[in-house]
Amino acid sequence: MASGRGSWASVLVAANLNAVRETMDVLFEISRILNTCLDMETLSICVRLYEQGINPKALSSGIKELRKVTEALKALKM
Amino acid sequence: MCSRVAERPEGRPLPEGASARESSFDTRVGLRVFSATACHLLSRDLEAPSPEGTQGSRPSSALCRADVAQQFQFAVRVIGSNFAPTVERDEFLVAEKIKKELIRQRREADAALFSELHRKLHSQGVLKNKWSILYLLLNLSEDPRRQANKVSNYATLFAQALPRDAHSTPYYYARPQTLPLNYQDRGTQAVQSSGSLGSSGISSISMCALGGPAPPPQPLLPGQSHQTLGVGDCLRQQLGSRLAWTLTANQPSSQTPPSKGTPNAVSRSMTRSRREGETGGAVEITEAALVRDILYVFQGIDGKNIKMSNTENCYKVEGKANLSKSLRDTAVRLAELGWLHNKIRKYTDQRSLDRSFGLVGQSFCAALHQELKEYYRLLSVLHSQLQLEDDQGVNLGLESSLTLRRLLVWTYDPKIRLKTLAALVDHCQGRKGGELASAVHAYTRTGDPYMRSLVQHILSLVSHPVLSFLYRWIYDGELEDTYHEFFVASDPTVKTDRLWHDKYTLRKSMIPSFMTMDQSRKVLLIGKSINFLHQVCHDQTPTTKMIAVTKSAEPPQDAADLFTDLENAFQGKIDAAYFETSKYLLDVLNKKYSLLDHMQAMRRYLLLGQGDFIRHLMDLLKPELVRPATTLYQHNLTGILETAVRATNAQFDSPEILRRLDVRLLEVSPGDTGWDVFSLDYHVDGPIATVFTRECMSHYLRVFNFLWRAKRMEYILTDIRKGHMCNAKLLRNMPELSGVLHQCHILASEMVHFIHQMQYYITFEVLECSWDELWNRVQQAQDLDHIIAAHEAFLDTITSRCLLDSGSRVLLNQLRAVFDQIIELQNAQDAIYRAALEELQRRLQFEEKKKQHEIEGQWGVTAAEEEEENRRIREFQESIPKMCSQLQILTHFYQGIVQQFLVLLTTSSDESLRFLSFRLDFNEHYKAREPRLRVSLGTRGRRSAHM
Repeated sequence: MASGRGSWASVLVAANLNAVRETMDVLFEISRILNTCLDMETLSICVRLYEQGINPKALSSGIKELRKVTEALKALKM
Repeated sequence: MCSRVAERPEGRPLPEGASARESSFDTRVGLRVFSATACHLLSRDLEAPSPEGTQGSRPSSALCRADVAQQFQFAVRVIGSNFAPTVERDEFLVAEKIKKELIRQRREADAALFSELHRKLHSQGVLKNKWSILYLLLNLSEDPRRQANKVSNYATLFAQALPRDAHSTPYYYARPQTLPLNYQDRGTQAVQSSGSLGSSGISSISMCALGGPAPPPQPLLPGQSHQTLGVGDCLRQQLGSRLAWTLTANQPSSQTPPSKGTPNAVSRSMTRSRREGETGGAVEITEAALVRDILYVFQGIDGKNIKMSNTENCYKVEGKANLSKSLRDTAVRLAELGWLHNKIRKYTDQRSLDRSFGLVGQSFCAALHQELKEYYRLLSVLHSQLQLEDDQGVNLGLESSLTLRRLLVWTYDPKIRLKTLAALVDHCQGRKGGELASAVHAYTRTGDPYMRSLVQHILSLVSHPVLSFLYRWIYDGELEDTYHEFFVASDPTVKTDRLWHDKYTLRKSMIPSFMTMDQSRKVLLIGKSINFLHQVCHDQTPTTKMIAVTKSAEPPQDAADLFTDLENAFQGKIDAAYFETSKYLLDVLNKKYSLLDHMQAMRRYLLLGQGDFIRHLMDLLKPELVRPATTLYQHNLTGILETAVRATNAQFDSPEILRRLDVRLLEVSPGDTGWDVFSLDYHVDGPIATVFTRECMSHYLRVFNFLWRAKRMEYILTDIRKGHMCNAKLLRNMPELSGVLHQCHILASEMVHFIHQMQYYITFEVLECSWDELWNRVQQAQDLDHIIAAHEAFLDTITSRCLLDSGSRVLLNQLRAVFDQIIELQNAQDAIYRAALEELQRRLQFEEKKKQHEIEGQWGVTAAEEEEENRRIREFQESIPKMCSQLQILTHFYQGIVQQFLVLLTTSSDESLRFLSFRLDFNEHYKAREPRLRVSLGTRGRRSAHM
């Protein structure tokens, strides 16, 4: 299983970059529909994190938390 | 760990459900990547507005950086923390949720767009964790209307995201009904939350506890959890059905596994790697690796350390691996499962490609596949458990993780199942059709109820095709057996005239062992009768009409009942179909084809039952038949036959029968007279020919010839007698002849006695007795086979009793010799009479001449005439002793033959023939002359006395 994960990365790098790009486009579109306010870069980072097997809930709450904080900070700044 | 919580920058509580433990994924890599994200997020959000901002914002931005650092720290913690009871991993469910959410926001168009995109995403398959990214997107999605107070909604958001309904995710998957939100305690006791987590996830983890090392029983038992965990309960039921494969149905208690003990916080938090570290050094194969290997081996794939050894045909742990003996043994024991799986798999793979394997074989393969599917389901469950552990790493703790021992316990029942299946596969190797069903049936005779129910299930599947063949056959008479699996075989080369006898046969090897020979014979008969009716009798009555009673209760789905209720339902069905069909067939044969009438006609004409007709026929035929056989013409004889029919009682027979009556001339050999080749014939065709087969007819022909010959002897003797009567008066004034005539009379009487006794024997002891027996049996016959059998028995009896079988050839030869002597006598006597009558005529003429001369006044006789007359008389008188001696020789021969015949009769094994000898020699006339007869009679008398 571990080896499978490792090989996945190599596959990603080596071949079908095209497919990856397409996938990312699709995901970005979904994210746009859902108003997630994620840009392409953030999204791709998130995808990579998930492919590493991060806990989705943890990540999402982390992002939310950060957003909240930045908002608070912004409010503070203003 | 608690201290870490205290260290938190602002003392802010972690988001709900997060327990502060290290995450399973590679933390360093994750953190690096995440830091990039966080930086990106923060910098963008914070500093993007700043370019337009004033310079004065810089100090605050510096302040912000400190804040940012803090935030980042926190975020990393959050990420690193673990929401133990993770959300369900069902991509589909998440997608559905997104759609629902969109629809709720009244954005149907977007929902449609989303599903299209989701489909695309699905088709690409680049991503491995599609569900998680969707989940993230869902979580981050914001309803434009709900921008405000989303912070306060935090908790509800999470609670919402968690599933409340049971669905197809693996059952042991930890799924709390409500998140254990312990706001008050959480600050100090984050670990506690994981504890309560465990308890809320009982229903799901409990399965793991089965193999756990004696967990202390938890107060929260399934019964009590009913009210609180309504959904969990339904989930558990689902579990139950899943588990049904692994756990036997006879152990209901294990279907709702006992609740898991309160998890020990310490042991729970113990990481897997630590545990592995305890079992051995770093170089050793860890148990986890073995478990992973084993799971592959279960599917017949070689693992890293456990490989199939081709030479020994078993799985082996690699020799050089450093393993404790117990682990090695356990692994090898588990690997047996893989071996068994391979065996079954190999069989089904081979067979499913083999088209000629037939339907029964296919259904056997299907049954095996079904079992294998269940087995795979178990494997997938185990796999996802393993996967989950990999993903979550530490959090599941010791009790719930997979260990070899646990696997051993869980796979105990599957192993028995696979063993049974493998044994079955071994036993069924190279068999097909009914034979295969028999093989499977043999395995139902086990004492183990668990195995029996398994095999019975397979048997019901396997025998389904057989049963559908059977029902098709007995109700429609159709044989759709492309692969020769059914126990009724059809020979397409057989023409309709031999349909009943040769077309359908039983394939003995294909009779399933749950059917008796008698049943299969009946099954064969039923279908054969239907086909016979259709093809030979051209009776197109639908079978439903024939067997209206039974057809209603047909459904062949009750295959399973068949084996439990063999005695009644199935037997009854076959019997009913058998009776109805056979009865219908006999009715048709009797009414439409008047089978019995034909049988009687056979007896009357071919077995000479119609006396007046035969006598008259013989009278008419006599002048024709004395001629050489080569000068006979069939058409002349046919004309005579018709005359005979018209003149006698035969004319009252139905034209149908008379039409069939014909003359037949046997093959002519040189020197034959008409008597030797003439015979009557009876034409049979259509359904009747099934009973009166060609062989039967040839039997009839032989019997007819014998009877005809015997009849002719009687006829000849009657003629002789007639000669005696007529000539007695005429020859009275030839006293010199009286001695010869006396001898003649004696011999003729002897012959008459003999022939009368023979005729009596043939008519009463042979024909009438056998006929009576035949008639009774035909009346009681239940099917056509009974009639045929009775008829054949009848023919056999009469042929053997008429001495026509090979065993009594000697007797028959003697009898023929007797018949020859009779003909000889007839010839001799004819000659004598001719000579005597001629002589008489001459004398009378002489006397008359003398008288006339006297009337004319001349001399009565001249000397020359007298001389001549005396010479003639002298010559005649001289010929008399010659006649006498001829007759004596004849008598001598005849008596010798009769004695010989009697000797043979007395030594014959047939009782009725021995009685015939008594009758022929009633006054012991021959016994007195023949010493051998005395001896044999004596010994027989002694023997019977002894007995």
